[in-house]
Amino acid sequence: MTLHRFTFRAMAADNEVQVHSGGARLAEAAAARAIAEVKRIEAKYSRYLPESVVSRINGAAGEGPVGIDRETHGLLVFAGACHEQSAGAFDATSGVLRRAWCFESARVPGEAELAPLLALIGWARVELTENTVRLPERGMELDFGGFGKEYAVDRAALALRESGAESALVNLAGDLAIIGAQPDGSPWRVGLRHPRRDAMLLATLPVTSGGVATSGDYERFIEVDGVRHCHILDPRTGQSVRSFQSVTVHAGSCLVAGSAATIAMLKGEEEGLAWLGMLGLSHLCVRADGELVDRFAAG
Amino acid sequence: MAAIDALMKAALALPILVVPAKASAAEVGEVGITLLGYKERGLMKVTEPVLWGRAEFLDAWEVRASAAVDIITGASPQLVTNAGGKPVQSISGASINDRRNTGDVRLTRRFGDFSLSASRALSKEKDYHSKSFGLEARWDLNQRNTTLVAGYGASNDRVLSSDDASLHQRRDTREYLFGVTQLLSPTALVQSTLSVSRGRGWYNDPYKLTFTFFADGPPILMADRRPDHRDSYAWLTRYRRHFPEAHGTLQVDYRYYRDDWGIRAHTLEVAWQHALDERWAVRPAFRYYTQDAADFYSPTVPRPQPAILASDQRLGSWGGVSPSLRIIAKLEGGVTVEGTVGYVHNARNLHLGGSSSEAFETLRAVYGIVGISRPF
Repeated sequence: MTLHRFTFRAMAADNEVQVHSGGARLAEAAAARAIAEVKRIEAKYSRYLPESVVSRINGAAGEGPVGIDRETHGLLVFAGACHEQSAGAFDATSGVLRRAWCFESARVPGEAELAPLLALIGWARVELTENTVRLPERGMELDFGGFGKEYAVDRAALALRESGAESALVNLAGDLAIIGAQPDGSPWRVGLRHPRRDAMLLATLPVTSGGVATSGDYERFIEVDGVRHCHILDPRTGQSVRSFQSVTVHAGSCLVAGSAATIAMLKGEEEGLAWLGMLGLSHLCVRADGELVDRFAAG
Repeated sequence: MAAIDALMKAALALPILVVPAKASAAEVGEVGITLLGYKERGLMKVTEPVLWGRAEFLDAWEVRASAAVDIITGASPQLVTNAGGKPVQSISGASINDRRNTGDVRLTRRFGDFSLSASRALSKEKDYHSKSFGLEARWDLNQRNTTLVAGYGASNDRVLSSDDASLHQRRDTREYLFGVTQLLSPTALVQSTLSVSRGRGWYNDPYKLTFTFFADGPPILMADRRPDHRDSYAWLTRYRRHFPEAHGTLQVDYRYYRDDWGIRAHTLEVAWQHALDERWAVRPAFRYYTQDAADFYSPTVPRPQPAILASDQRLGSWGGVSPSLRIIAKLEGGVTVEGTVGYVHNARNLHLGGSSSEAFETLRAVYGIVGISRPF
């Protein structure tokens, strides 16, 4: 058994597939299938591509319903479950806030700027059926950013499994899925990046199956007057959340881990920790003051 | 429905690889109470409240315990006689009012992918005492896609009689169990278990008699006489497949049983557990059972009189069907409420293949089970 590593570029990030395999050809075929799956999902749900499903749905806002397939329906049902379970903190229509929040310029938008955008947010207004989705108001937007990448991780993992891989890892910019222990029976060691210090590891987590996802304030942020405003925005206020530096969650799938981490981030430190405890998922968080909360069990 | 269940359910509906959630870390145990009622038309009635609980502690330990009381009232057939021409069961005049107390406890220690359990069970009624213990080893391998189980059990029983104070006999049983559970896909699994049981001791039923009249001689009244051993094999195979798009799980169980009394039995149960929404689920099920008679079963005493003979119709050739419906509600805080109603119809013409026992009298019964459980 040899460990084969494949790196590739997708979703504006450096990504990786690792496969333990007896043959390079087998590993390559499995990785190629997984990478193709990631690119398929990127093309289908990217909001930057005019032909994507998301662009078509957003382009028809305020007009008639747009036909969707089962996969898209399943993802929107998942987004709905996140909205419901988070009491509205997770909202797949909150992407419109990006129009006011520009993380390239150090400027915090005012209430007057946010108010018209907040009026366009509201998962409850999305009209979803088995075959169609409709955004009732012009300017409303759906954004798969909160779960599209995690879904791609899970799909790539399934592609690896279906190609016969019994021990493999998919890593899309830090969100990952793992299939099986390493050939010697040991778990994979997942290194977590320190949210404040580049090139430094916060922890190494032993994982043998399922998904691990991290939500943090360090990916995109601006600092204004000494206050860090991160890219995680509360759909109810339009403001950047004051929360953990990072939340890492392990679950049965990357999709579930990612949504649990994002919702914990949106809920803030105390409520977020209570939420993760209630879910019963392994987690590791860094509080705003840098304190580590380690509730990670091997698995 | 718990938040994690809602998220997992939505994720499972997507075509992705999802590892089932482990027992929630926040949840350390569960307690429940179940009430069972069974009523056989014109005959006996059984009521059984069961209290059970389960708790995990010190990370690798789990304890489970249950206690139950069976209350049996009514009448049980005591005599099979052909006094009226053909052999029929005759209900004894005396009514039964029996009570059985049982309890068991099981302790499990996990060592990574390996776990060991020890269990102890006691059961006591006025004419039957049972004490048993068991050991079980369980091994998860192949990334938990495969589980192997091996078990050993021993039971030491005492048979007494409320009609005969001098009856005090032993019955000792050893049981061996081997099983394998294999995950076939993220949505399907199969489990197959073989149990082998070796029993020695007193099997005669002190309350059963056979009274046979002859046209040309005096009648014979014979007490129930059975072999002093019973060795059996039971092979149970279960298949479960979840259909995410149909919101349901198909459950098929097949059990084959044979023993050295000559009984061969097949049981097939098919059920569909259907989630109506996040809270409610229904499970319609249908069970079919058929068995061949024990070698020494006879509703009449033949001549010459054999050394062993039993006229208890449960040892005859017959078959039965049993439809049932369960309704399951998951409430706030993980509380689960379940209710089941079922009907039992056993008859000789439901026996599969070969000749059935002519003297078998059709049995009709209804039963109901309600249970409530909550995590803590």
